[in-house]
Amino acid sequence: MPMYQNGEVDPAVKALEDRQDEVLRRLYELKATVDGLTKTVTTPDADLDATTLSHAPVESVFRGTADLDSLLGKDLGALRDIVINAHPARPPLSLLVLHGLLCQRYQVLSSVHLHSSVPGVPPPLMSCLGPRHTDSYARQRFQLGFTLIWKDVSKLQMKFSTQNMCPIEGEANVARFLSRLLGADPQDPVSATQMDRWIDTAVFQLAEGGNKERAAVLRSLNTALGRSPWLLGEGFSLADVVCACCVLQAGESGSAPANVQRWLKSCQNLGHFRCVYPLLQ
Amino acid sequence: MTKENVQGAGEEEQQAQSKKGLKKQQKEAEKAAKKAEKQAKLAAEQQDTDEDDFAKDRYGICPMVQSQQKLDRALVRVQDLTPEKAEQQIWVRARIHTSRAKGKQCFLVLRHQQFTVQALLAVGERASKQMVKFAANLTKESIIDVEAVVKKVEQKIESCSQQDVELHVERIFVISQSEARLPLQLEDAVRPEGEGDEEGRATVNQDTRLDNRVIDLRTTTSQAIFRLQSGVCQLFRDTLINKGFVEIQTPKIISAASEGGANVFTVSYFKTSAYLAQSPQLYKQMCICADFDKVFCVGPVFRAEDSNTHRHLTEFVGLDIEMTFNYHYHEVIDSITDTMVQIFKGLRDRFQTEIQTVNKQYPSEPFKFLEPTLRLEYMEGVAMLRAAGVEMGDEEDLSTPNEKLLGRLVKDKYDTDFYVLDKYPLAVRPFYTMPDPSDPKYSNSYDMFMRGEEILSGAQRVHDAQLLTERAMHHSIDLEKIKAYIDSFRYGAPPHAGGGIGLERVTMLYLGLHNVRQTSMFPRDPKRLTP
Repeated sequence: MPMYQNGEVDPAVKALEDRQDEVLRRLYELKATVDGLTKTVTTPDADLDATTLSHAPVESVFRGTADLDSLLGKDLGALRDIVINAHPARPPLSLLVLHGLLCQRYQVLSSVHLHSSVPGVPPPLMSCLGPRHTDSYARQRFQLGFTLIWKDVSKLQMKFSTQNMCPIEGEANVARFLSRLLGADPQDPVSATQMDRWIDTAVFQLAEGGNKERAAVLRSLNTALGRSPWLLGEGFSLADVVCACCVLQAGESGSAPANVQRWLKSCQNLGHFRCVYPLLQ
Repeated sequence: MTKENVQGAGEEEQQAQSKKGLKKQQKEAEKAAKKAEKQAKLAAEQQDTDEDDFAKDRYGICPMVQSQQKLDRALVRVQDLTPEKAEQQIWVRARIHTSRAKGKQCFLVLRHQQFTVQALLAVGERASKQMVKFAANLTKESIIDVEAVVKKVEQKIESCSQQDVELHVERIFVISQSEARLPLQLEDAVRPEGEGDEEGRATVNQDTRLDNRVIDLRTTTSQAIFRLQSGVCQLFRDTLINKGFVEIQTPKIISAASEGGANVFTVSYFKTSAYLAQSPQLYKQMCICADFDKVFCVGPVFRAEDSNTHRHLTEFVGLDIEMTFNYHYHEVIDSITDTMVQIFKGLRDRFQTEIQTVNKQYPSEPFKFLEPTLRLEYMEGVAMLRAAGVEMGDEEDLSTPNEKLLGRLVKDKYDTDFYVLDKYPLAVRPFYTMPDPSDPKYSNSYDMFMRGEEILSGAQRVHDAQLLTERAMHHSIDLEKIKAYIDSFRYGAPPHAGGGIGLERVTMLYLGLHNVRQTSMFPRDPKRLTP
């Protein structure tokens, strides 16, 4: 029978076409599911390229809130002072950025001290936490203390409640602790793993690695930043803080690939990195 | 009695007598033999000495130096005997620390203040047997002049301070001889406590040292301690002068007890009595009211406290500061803590030799501090103590054990041996302490600690005559007795604060020593008035 009668499509043909579309649609869904399953089955976990897996979009990670009492212990009516011991030859830039973020969220009493094990430091290091707060004479008005001590230590170290907590060592670990105070822990395990992966890459391969390793990291940063404006997707996160600081500290910002340079500029525009630039040699 | 018996008895007596006589004769013979032996020996020795003593001009006991002649001879200090002077022939004046003869050689250790050097005298072309014997017999502590050639040594002489050289003696003369029996041995006096117990060798206990202080002060350790203490005083003065302070001297004979009646010494004063000042507090403040702005004074402080502890003396040297401030007493705390930090830095950078010398006998951790100084509030200290399990009230004073514990907790967290505890409860402070403006339970007062022990107690002072009167009444103080004090604030008084430290205690704690008598030259305590 002819397809067209009186210039109109025969309803039976229409029904057939609809059925065809439906079948094709379901076929595609099936294909996608099978593809996904194939990937899971054929590639072992360690090689799973997490950056290509789809996941929930990440909002700017620093918008959350945290329960200080549960993280730091009950407020006993006295200032809860976080003490960080760092060597002046290796200033912990990411912690300075996090300090800035903490100051926006809480009443923070910041102080910088020079320990007697170090004969002296250049003036920018003594003023790296900004000017003294006008209320600093009344310690108990603050929710949190941030005390940075320039000291002859081999590894950066954070002390808080020496009776209950052992010291936390390493800039990356202290950064993770501080970001928890900002309520910035990513909620889903995929993002959390990605964040940890970027932090570890920055600290072990970029900061401590040789020229080849550094170049490799910059390339993978470039690739990741080609897909999204920030390392974890749409939002600025701790991964961006730590990686950017390591790139800046390694002195590679001038010679970095295009996406990395664009991303560094974006970091700068956010304003959180203002405290870092005076300390770069 | 029969005649025979008597005779018999007489015979027995005679026999007994002759036995005694025999013994007596024997003894006398022995004596004579010994005497003859001695005489023979002397004669032999005499022969020896008469035997050509070719070195007799190169040693001896000098006549007492009565300024008979003005020799233009340069004496090199033991401290300056280094490999740079190798092969030079120089003169040294020092004390004999030890002398030991070994066959044809005599080893001497010469000492001057903190420094010791080994010297060697051997029988040979330049030295005769008699000369070596003379050197070996010199008494310890005698002061001698030695002409010697400085020689480099291959193996370091560990037991001396000058480890890379030794002296080969050419001439040796005694300037001032010491008696043979010393009240204490200097080697024992510098021996570390533990070593003494372990090896069964003697150490000297504190009372013996203090009874023979002149000898005890000669030890290398004492020399180092008091040299460093002199540095503390000098750094205190220099830092404050640079900050624009004026040094003042305040009277020590005063008419009324300043701090609070019980612990004052009374002296007879013509027809009445007077007191020895417990602190320069009143006079410092009067100088402030007299517009001197920033003052400090260094002088004795007398406390008649019957405390027999490791850190109390009845007389000690007080280093006191008082200064006006513009708006907040923290301006004064900042000034005081900066002064302390400058003292610590000066000691760290310029007195390492002294610190190392003291550490040899009294090992301790080096003194650590932060710049700017750490300032914690009293409530924070209480919170830290409570977290460590101590139970105490909010307005309770800190007991000495709690102070020590808090010092350890602060050291754990901040790694500093020096910190300030601010905002003490009002109830435990003297009547002239300014109360806190927002919380009447607390005050604008502070204590400073070194190694967990208090070294300074200070506060913002009440500079208003009316408030001062109220506070005095609250403490049940007789207003008549402090009338002159209150009057000084009636004619315009600037806001001011200050504090004072004890020189001996600061030196003791800086070096990590355990008894303040070690850092007081001639200490005074409830049981000791001499030397």
